[in-house]
Amino acid sequence: MSKTMRILASLVVIAIVAVALGVWIIRGPGPLDFASGTKVALADYRAGKPTGVPASLEKASLVERGEYLAKAADCMVCHTKPGDKEYSGGLGFKLPFGTLYSTNITPDKDTGIGNYSDQDFLNAVQHGKRHDGARLYPAMPYTSYTFMTDEDVLAVKAYLFSLPAVAAKAPENTLSFPFNQRWAMMFWSAVFNPDTRFAPDASKSPEWNRGAYLAEALAHCGECHTPRNLGFALDNRKKFAGAITAGWHAFNISSDKATGLGNWRDEDLIAYLSLGHAPGHGSASGPMGEAVDHSFSQFAPEDIRGIVAYLRSVPPVPSPDLPAGTAPIAPASHKDGVTADARGKKVFASACASCHGWSGESPVSPMATLTGTWAVNDPAATNVAQIVLSGTKRHTPDSALSMPAFGNAYSDDEIAAVANYVTARFGAKGSKLTAKDVAELREQTAE
Amino acid sequence: MATVLTINGETKSFDAPPEMPLLWVLRDILGMTGTKFGCGIAQCGACTVHVDGKAVRSCVLPVSAVANRAITTIEHVGTTPSGAKVQKAWLDAEVIQCGYCQSGQIMSAAALLAATPNPDDSDIDAAMAGNICRCGTYVRIREAIKLAASGRQS
Repeated sequence: MSKTMRILASLVVIAIVAVALGVWIIRGPGPLDFASGTKVALADYRAGKPTGVPASLEKASLVERGEYLAKAADCMVCHTKPGDKEYSGGLGFKLPFGTLYSTNITPDKDTGIGNYSDQDFLNAVQHGKRHDGARLYPAMPYTSYTFMTDEDVLAVKAYLFSLPAVAAKAPENTLSFPFNQRWAMMFWSAVFNPDTRFAPDASKSPEWNRGAYLAEALAHCGECHTPRNLGFALDNRKKFAGAITAGWHAFNISSDKATGLGNWRDEDLIAYLSLGHAPGHGSASGPMGEAVDHSFSQFAPEDIRGIVAYLRSVPPVPSPDLPAGTAPIAPASHKDGVTADARGKKVFASACASCHGWSGESPVSPMATLTGTWAVNDPAATNVAQIVLSGTKRHTPDSALSMPAFGNAYSDDEIAAVANYVTARFGAKGSKLTAKDVAELREQTAE
Repeated sequence: MATVLTINGETKSFDAPPEMPLLWVLRDILGMTGTKFGCGIAQCGACTVHVDGKAVRSCVLPVSAVANRAITTIEHVGTTPSGAKVQKAWLDAEVIQCGYCQSGQIMSAAALLAATPNPDDSDIDAAMAGNICRCGTYVRIREAIKLAASGRQS
């Protein structure tokens, strides 16, 4: 080999090693790697049953078991456009590079998944591969669902196939180049899809293992709450440290005491997940509100406890963008406390004060109390602006409380002003939103 | 299942879904039509009632949220000290034009005076900004609140 050839060959080897190292560094640990106990194959785990349905449904039909699991995986919210038939798809996810539409997963043969064999369905849910062989975009969280057992995935299929077929074709995606090159997802998937089934951790309790299965394989918490890496995949070095998803801030749910769940009591977490509200911590809204309404509120109590046990074990990762704790209650009189923004105060007085009060403690319902929520303590005010724009409606077993949407009633400028006033008055550090920021948030919500 | 509420000091029992707004219960089930329906989204103030003495919008308030709490409506507010003063001042200052929003205006003003007996202009702004008047009686509303607070009523 000539000298030039040797140099060239060395360069090629160095380049390959560098790329492999880069990919390996970007990919980082898997979602369950933080639990360092011995992983055992599911079949060898005898202490409990982390997969499948809760004991009360053990004898239920395949379709009923599939329904529980489909709700636990929260398929419906993404695969339904508000106002249209359930599971018929068409919900648009607005990304910086175009809009991606969810698909019809009713058993319609032409527009849905009616022609899917069991293997087709497993390919889609666990491997991100469509019936026709095309790759799915990871907006479909198959990198989480890949941890589901075949049995559970097929139970979900049985449930979906028990639903009425709806003929509904989702609009074409409007992604720009290079994101419209679906085939390239093959490489993404090869790097970022762990493509493995759940393996219990023998050093942990059965409750923890059940929670791990539910949180990682089904509820896919990390898809919103874990920040993303350079490749738009989950960066599990900062597992559950919070991220912006669909224009909403999914807050830190690691066990960090200051900015995560470390200071939440078990009963608060249980209430928040199953009812969408925990006293002193606010109410779930936006995408988390939907997750509670359609998914967590349907969980068996022991499954909620499993998720809580699991969340408790996730290592603390602080959120540097949040203050070290939430602000105390604001003064009762409008005159006391910060008046950062006179215009914001005016909007607050006319549109907000009658339900939220001047102290932040709602005269109407604890669900409308602002004090203690991360939304008002977030100096970016993302969720405050979002909820003002789009409102909220909570469905809990004994109550339905709603806040109207103000997106069409107030200008971006006024919404920025009221968000800045609210975060300054009720939070630890006021925001500095501009009309432009609000306009951008309007663009990001799924519809 | 029957819902039980304490309205104007009386216990009322009726059948209503838990998410039904208090305003619908008041007007459609109990026939108490003094409280008005305006916008339906807590933005005009016409439906204002008191819950534990605080002014709230009844059009977005589910009945399930007000069980075991004292509800006062326009029909009864005249029996409270601040409510009586406000109603008197409203007549003295001849505040009302068409009148549709005035139940709400009076409820908000009465709650303001109960909490802040001598409100200044900024207190009035903060308490009354959520009550809209199509006829523009705002100047007389402000005057009447000050009159009620001063105790210089005829």
